[in-house]
Amino acid sequence: MSKIVLIGSPNSGKSLLFNRLTGLHQKVANFPGITVDVSSGSLQSLPEITLVDFPGTYSLQPISGDEQVAVKFFTQALDDPNVTQVLCLIDVTRLEKSLYFTLQVIRESARHGKHVTVLANMMDVLEKHHIQVDLAGLSAQIKAPVLPVSARTGSGIDALLARLKANQLQPRSKAAAALTDTPDELLRGTALQLARRFGPKGDILIKSQARLDDFFLHTTLGGLAFFGIMYLLFQSIFTWAAPAMDAVEALLGALSNIVVPAIPNQMARDFTADAIFSGIGAFLVFVPQIFVLTFIIGILEDSGYMARAALICHKPLRLFGLTGKSFIPMLSGVACAIPGIYAARSIDSPKKRLLTYMAIPLMPCSARLPVYTLLIAAFIPQTTALGGLVGMQGLAMFLIYFFGMACGLLVTGLVSRFREDHFTDLPFVLEMPPYRMPAWQPLLRNAWNRSKHFVTKAGKIIFGVTVIIWVLGYFPNGGADLNASWLGHLGHVVEPIFAPLGLDWRYGVAVLTSFLAREVFVGTLGTMFGIEGAEENMVPLVAQIQASGLSVGSGLALLVFFAIALMCVSTLAILSREAQSTKLAVNLFAAYGVLAYGLAILVYNLAGLVGV
Amino acid sequence: MLEGTDVKNSSTSLWSLRAGERCRIESFDDKLAERYRIRMMELGFHPGETVSCVQSPALGAPKVYRVSNTMFSLDDEVAAHIVVSLLPHE
Repeated sequence: MSKIVLIGSPNSGKSLLFNRLTGLHQKVANFPGITVDVSSGSLQSLPEITLVDFPGTYSLQPISGDEQVAVKFFTQALDDPNVTQVLCLIDVTRLEKSLYFTLQVIRESARHGKHVTVLANMMDVLEKHHIQVDLAGLSAQIKAPVLPVSARTGSGIDALLARLKANQLQPRSKAAAALTDTPDELLRGTALQLARRFGPKGDILIKSQARLDDFFLHTTLGGLAFFGIMYLLFQSIFTWAAPAMDAVEALLGALSNIVVPAIPNQMARDFTADAIFSGIGAFLVFVPQIFVLTFIIGILEDSGYMARAALICHKPLRLFGLTGKSFIPMLSGVACAIPGIYAARSIDSPKKRLLTYMAIPLMPCSARLPVYTLLIAAFIPQTTALGGLVGMQGLAMFLIYFFGMACGLLVTGLVSRFREDHFTDLPFVLEMPPYRMPAWQPLLRNAWNRSKHFVTKAGKIIFGVTVIIWVLGYFPNGGADLNASWLGHLGHVVEPIFAPLGLDWRYGVAVLTSFLAREVFVGTLGTMFGIEGAEENMVPLVAQIQASGLSVGSGLALLVFFAIALMCVSTLAILSREAQSTKLAVNLFAAYGVLAYGLAILVYNLAGLVGV
Repeated sequence: MLEGTDVKNSSTSLWSLRAGERCRIESFDDKLAERYRIRMMELGFHPGETVSCVQSPALGAPKVYRVSNTMFSLDDEVAAHIVVSLLPHE
């Protein structure tokens, strides 16, 4: 099967063209070591030809680690005997940005004996502004065919496919071969001359873009718009995804009610109900959030707003070693760390992406909310201050949320200053793409692919941990008494660890099970105190905790522990996959565990000193 | 740092431009690493090229510059090291 490589600079419309040429049948894979996608798919009208889509890059002279890997894989693809030609996509409205890269691609392909066809995209924009460019002249100069196309409208695509079908693409010419020895500096000069000679003259999109920027980057109006858009994004994860999350839970519950009673063996029945259905439910429930967030982030990126949002947030986040692009992943992390980690893919600087990965697990995610609610209800009095204006419980909730976020920024600020860099970082140079209507179909497809990735990649790890915890809690007494189970024994074994926080073994067991998902802490504690349905109604459990004689200091220590500790197997699984580093996930788990424990002891002792 | 040099006399930095001002790129200063100079040229910021500052948001946020038909946002880490001479308003 012959392959065609598609390459182009960012914002040249490559994804849209790829989708148009391949339709629904595509595979997405990651480069080893980085999170950049390489998609491949057979051409809709020529299924015998596979199109391989490489990540957008401005140059074949890489700066960052991601770029180095992308360029290396492009060069390897050129060595592949099945690769018959290279399609180099350029934005015809901005030749000055595209041509140097194009000449580099032609030179590199010529060195490997591959043909290049240049696709001049966004011809519809030129036509709309009644601007003509001399593509034939350009083609003659660069000694490669230049075809006019529009990925958005589809014009020129039939002609491209006809050429591919007829294999009429121009063979490598002598002049192209001569490029093989041309140094970069000369190539840059040539590209600049060609862009000045053949590039479209006049303002294209700039005027309307500038008007919108006047609004979106305005100090007051732009700030309000930013907060409005971020509020909608946050709502989308919390509120809009909720019905779908409820539906997933209800569907699994209904399925469980049908399947479980039909199983004759008691242990198999318990395993199916508690390990399989509860275990699968614990991670499938995240899928709607991931889908919705990926889709909305796609809209923000495709419409051109994401670049503006990154610009607005850049300055304050730079103080903490982050970039403006870290804001959305961190905000998403306030709902759930998993979609936040996925969202960090849009950060092109590897160093800043790593720092963002470090900050996200400290954002106060929604799974911490039930734990905070329980502990605050149990230990913070329901009194008010300042004449009823400030409720103490509400203030405690605000402070613990703020504490998590502040810790996240503090960690990245410190790490960015003291960590020795192993790779070159990219400075903040961000192309501001024109504002445009998003292309809905590719965005939906991307959201679907991301959700599928989560289910297939994280599912196995999460399910494995679920089974282990189920076995520990079920044996040796067949799940009759959690206190007498292996998990209960384990609780007694780990009791000395929790004793310095004033906590007994029951809290130790609840903390151990909350590794599956933080909110499991509430349910387990309910089971330990013999209360059913503690997740839905916390009041009896709150009363039991208060009656158990636990001190306020222990409650505060638990709050601080849960704010920092990275005890979520789903987050660790996805972090390990996305960062392509199990070491990072293990190190963060250990480091935040030690930090959480240390701070919890500190808080417990400080509380003891002030007598609470 | 090139910030603070006299705008009216001769060369200044790209970062010192305010919204609506135009300039011609003269050179890059020594503090900008070679690989970043090359990347800037790859993006169209060549010596001799005309650049205009389109947006200069408040609070020191990155500024938006126009080169030909492309807009880029740069912060002072890069823009302060691009030496330019101011051009009169169009």
